[in-house]
Amino acid sequence: MNLFGDPLAPRYLIWLLQGFGVTLALSATVCMAGTALGLALCCLREAGGRLGGAVTAAGIGLVRNTPLLVQLFVWYFGVAALMPGGLTAWLNTPHSLPLGPVELRWPAYETLAGFLGLTLYAAAYIAEECRAGLNGVRPAQRAAARALGLTESQIFRHVALPQALRIAWLPVVGQYLNTLKNTSLTMTIGLAELSYAARQVETETFQAFQAFGIATLLYVGAVAAVEAIGHAVARRAPAGAPRR
Amino acid sequence: MNVSVITDNLGYLLAGAWPDGPVGGLMLTLILSAASGLASAAIGLVLGIALAMSGGRTRRILVLGLGLLRAIPIVMLIFWSYFLLPVLFGFAIPETGTVVTALSLVGGAYLSYAVAAGIESLGRGQWEAGLALGLGRWQVLRFVILPRALPAMAPSFVNQWTALIKDTSLAYVIGVPELSFVATQVNNRAIVYPAEIFLFVGAVYGGLCLLVDRFATRLAGRGGRKRRAAA
Repeated sequence: MNLFGDPLAPRYLIWLLQGFGVTLALSATVCMAGTALGLALCCLREAGGRLGGAVTAAGIGLVRNTPLLVQLFVWYFGVAALMPGGLTAWLNTPHSLPLGPVELRWPAYETLAGFLGLTLYAAAYIAEECRAGLNGVRPAQRAAARALGLTESQIFRHVALPQALRIAWLPVVGQYLNTLKNTSLTMTIGLAELSYAARQVETETFQAFQAFGIATLLYVGAVAAVEAIGHAVARRAPAGAPRR
Repeated sequence: MNVSVITDNLGYLLAGAWPDGPVGGLMLTLILSAASGLASAAIGLVLGIALAMSGGRTRRILVLGLGLLRAIPIVMLIFWSYFLLPVLFGFAIPETGTVVTALSLVGGAYLSYAVAAGIESLGRGQWEAGLALGLGRWQVLRFVILPRALPAMAPSFVNQWTALIKDTSLAYVIGVPELSFVATQVNNRAIVYPAEIFLFVGAVYGGLCLLVDRFATRLAGRGGRKRRAAA
């Protein structure tokens, strides 16, 4: 039996590459939004008072302890059903904003739901990595800064935060890699990213090995590239990294 | 909020078509979690020890293979075992088997790094002391290193198990009737109450993860105290 069969027709390769483009764009936007939200959640948990801290911790725990797939279903099916009818109708009809030569299109509902679900999931994990980074700064560092006469906010800005970010960087890169892989789950709500495209090509051509093989190679390549960039950034960080 | 859509379908959500048909729902999720949890622990231990004890080319090949497993999305891995396993073995394998295979490989790949790190964290002094007593390398591992390294690895195993419970939901993509899949079936039938159904299912997964976490942490804590008392 010939495992590989004839090479895929060019149009199927284009499908896969288009899917890969969607995967990369979705991953990049989710990583940016997730980092911003994760940092905000981390600050809220550490400095939001007893109530703010407790609520944030509970929310983060909830997101981290339920499957991303179920969360995507909640955003895609659940929220759509809870929204007022007019809003659902508006979201389901195409809208565009012409800006000179380019036209900004309002994304389809599955893209919004996928983006929201992935961002919240990534933010919950990034918040915890940042918290671990803050806790990793040795207490003597704060004591020394206090002895120098720095205020609490100056200590946070100039002493704790730079060290915490350096400790948390590689774990956060790990979360970026997870996000890249997690985008594959959005195929279940009809977002036409790489896994969706691979499944589509397999259904049309019955060439499972080529469809999934090419998709797998693209994923592995993207993961390897992001990991290499993450490590390169870590090496370029200024000297004086905290000893452990 | 409409609770009746949950109560009316509770039996189906918890056990699928069982006892009239195959097991499904939460019960199948538990079975998938337990099977892939045990298999991934075994794979993680074996490959982790191999990673820590090997060197040169063997280690490089091992690192490459484990890195590959961690770089591929689980959905892709499930598709791979779904299409590849029947070709490899020449006969159809039940979907549940392909899911357990994929999840065990991923879980095992992550755990093997934790196991190798746990073994390597003990320092050369322990090895040298063991070797000085006349023990062989594997004897040192068995009698000196592992008894100290394994309890320290317990949190990694617990984390991996809760991650596996969540990942069993990915069996959905090949139509295995575990909790997430039967939830979408109920949703397709009822249509109007998706929020209730998926929030309930999320709560079930959350409770399950929390339960495993608490239970395992308590077990590990008790074991630790006993060992300290004995020492």
